[in-house]
Amino acid sequence: MRLLVIEDNARMAALVADGLQRRNFVCDVAHSLAAAEDAMGGATYDAIVLDLGLPDGDGTDWLTSRRKYHEMPPAIMLTARGALEDRITGLDAGADDYLVKPVEIDELAARIRALLRRPGVRIQPVIEVGRLYFDVANRTARAGDQEIDLSRREADLLELLMRHAGTVVHRAVIENALYSFSDPVTPNAIEATISRVRRKLEDAHVTGALHTVRGVGYMLKDNGA
Amino acid sequence: MTDRRSVSRRLKRGLGLIGLVGTFLLLAAVVFFYSFTFAHLDAQAAMARASREMLEHVALPVAILMIPVTVLVLRVIRQAFRPLEEVAAEIEAVQGHERGFRIDNSQMPTEALPFTSAVNDLLARLDEAAKRQEAFAADVAHELRTPLALLSLELDRLEHDDAERLKKDVAAMRRLIDQLMLLAQIDADAVAQIPLAQISLSDVASDVVGAAAPAIIAGGKTIELVTGIHAPVTRGRREAISAALRNLIENAVRVTPAGGAIQVLVGPGASISVRDEGPGLPPDRLRNLVQRHRRADHASKDGAGLGLAIVERIMAAHEGTLETDPDRHDLILRFPEP
Repeated sequence: MRLLVIEDNARMAALVADGLQRRNFVCDVAHSLAAAEDAMGGATYDAIVLDLGLPDGDGTDWLTSRRKYHEMPPAIMLTARGALEDRITGLDAGADDYLVKPVEIDELAARIRALLRRPGVRIQPVIEVGRLYFDVANRTARAGDQEIDLSRREADLLELLMRHAGTVVHRAVIENALYSFSDPVTPNAIEATISRVRRKLEDAHVTGALHTVRGVGYMLKDNGA
Repeated sequence: MTDRRSVSRRLKRGLGLIGLVGTFLLLAAVVFFYSFTFAHLDAQAAMARASREMLEHVALPVAILMIPVTVLVLRVIRQAFRPLEEVAAEIEAVQGHERGFRIDNSQMPTEALPFTSAVNDLLARLDEAAKRQEAFAADVAHELRTPLALLSLELDRLEHDDAERLKKDVAAMRRLIDQLMLLAQIDADAVAQIPLAQISLSDVASDVVGAAAPAIIAGGKTIELVTGIHAPVTRGRREAISAALRNLIENAVRVTPAGGAIQVLVGPGASISVRDEGPGLPPDRLRNLVQRHRRADHASKDGAGLGLAIVERIMAAHEGTLETDPDRHDLILRFPEP
């Protein structure tokens, strides 16, 4: 997966790129928006890591204007600004995620992987979380080599959780994704689906990956195996 | 107050002295004018007349003049100083909300105005200095982020056993800086008087718990959210309330043993409680933690005191309170009922 890191502090850019490369990303570095334009003219990137304050302009404005005329890969903003107002501005401008410096490379890498799992410009045929694989086209899942037999609704749920792996998916989001308006949700429907998926994962020897955060939602987590 | 400094005592003494001197002078005058007249009378009658003369011309005028003057002067003095006493009580009462306090000059006697105005100027300068200090602290915190980012990235490259430990230290520093930035943000918001929004406490709690859950689960603990049928709302700043709840959850995670559970409860009323499996925090200890930090004393090393002090500041800005219920192991954010 190829990334473009746009960051004016040369040392920071080199360190971020180096850290990401050691986590199996291919990284190019641009120190200004002009350099970023050049790089994007010559190559296709899967994601952008963007600093907000750059010598030849503001990253937010650049992202907004570029989104209007170009197809853009998902972007993660990286900034020293911490106030939440900035976060909202950044996300409004079309950033797909936002991290405040000083960032941990592990967290940045996890966020990039999460971004790449989301439905986006580049179609990703297979979503991967640890030993779990989900084939988006065929709606089939497997753990390692073992097929997991899922109903349509169970498959939808697993895909949703896998696309947001490592974060809690709120109940309301699951309800909206799995049930249409004409299709009333019974109070225990989601719990029942979750527990069926959990049992099937355990049958496929994926244990302790599906977590319940009672009162909030559910989370699928790669146990690092 | 010593004798020398008390204005009313000095006045009393002065008036006493005037009375004495007046009496003496009048006596002298009486003796001077009547001594020859009484000389030929027999001693007994002379003494009686002399005493009457003295009573009429000395004691009576002195008493008639001095008693009302004394009473009046003391009254005026007391009234003149009453506004000062009231202001002193007001100054006592604003403890903890000193920022922006000024003495009300409208009731002040003219003679006291130069003094109170000077005090007000001093207060304004102190406010200004405090604001500069805070801005400086915020700047420092902000500027520290880049070197800290570089440091943690460099540590990431080190393939050494110590790197993990150092990374944890850097993470602790980062949390401290985040707290300082948050504090600066609250103060800036308070100064800017940003209008408050209607906020659902369940929504805030759901977001914060959802965001905190992955790290808590990774640490081998669990967290759950309990909401009632009622959806309490409050007026405030969503980010600030989120930050307060985040701090309480971080605190709960710190005191809860491995494998333990943390509960976040919305309600009853406009409140959010965080229940942990720690020993419970007695009210006086909570007050200590919060106060110690306010007095810029050394709070706990890991910033626990700072975190709770910030929660208290956020709650004060929302006219709410941070409370503790040690029996239930709860820390409670209580907002004013709408």
